[in-house]
Amino acid sequence: MYLYFVSQSKPAPATMPSELETAMESLITVFHRYASKDGKGTLNRRELRELMENELSTFLKSQKDPAAVDKIMKDLDANGDGQVDFEEFVSLVVGLSIACEQCYQLHMKKQTKK
Amino acid sequence: MESAIKTIVTTFLKSAGGKDNLSPKAFQKLVQKQFSGVMEDTDSSAAIMEMQKGLDENSDGKVSFQEYLTLIGYVANTMSQKHCEPKEAAS
Repeated sequence: MYLYFVSQSKPAPATMPSELETAMESLITVFHRYASKDGKGTLNRRELRELMENELSTFLKSQKDPAAVDKIMKDLDANGDGQVDFEEFVSLVVGLSIACEQCYQLHMKKQTKK
Repeated sequence: MESAIKTIVTTFLKSAGGKDNLSPKAFQKLVQKQFSGVMEDTDSSAAIMEMQKGLDENSDGKVSFQEYLTLIGYVANTMSQKHCEPKEAAS
C-alpha cells in the first residue's frame, strides 16, 4: 500500500513547493473558495456552475447549458447527496486531465508530422 | 485552475519522455522531484517501488497516465483534508 507514505504530521517544508504541489494546492484552494459559499464544505449545483464558469471557461463550453451542468453534477455526485465533495471534484479534474492529455498528444503528433 | 490541470498533464508527459507510461526509474525521479514536500520517504527507492506497486492496477510494472492520476487524486484528497482540519477544530 502506498498510503503509508503521505505524511500526516510533517510540518510545512522549508524548501519551495514543487510545480505539482503548487498545482494541487491551487485546485484545493479553488474548490474550497466555491464550496464554502453556502457555508457547507461541498459544491451545490449553483456553486459548481460558478466554478465551471469562472475557472474552466477555456476548457468547457457546456456551463452555459443548464442540462449539461445537471448532467455533470449527476456524474460527479457519486454518493447521490446532491452535493459535490472534494473527492468527487477530483473525478472532474481527472476527466479533464485525460481529455487534456489526449489533446496534447494529438498536438504533438501534428507537430512532428510537419 | 486550468493551468493547474495543464501542469499535472505536462509533468507526466515530460517525465514519460514521449512514451505512454512511466518506467520505474522515471516514476522514482518524478516522485522525488515533485512530492518531496508532501510525502515522507521520497529518498528511499524501496518505498517508492512499494508505492508504484500499489498504483499499478494492471500490474505491467509501469505507471500509466491513469495510474498517475490515481496518485494525484489520493495526494490531493489528503492535502485537502489537512486543509480543512484546522478550520473544523476552530469552529
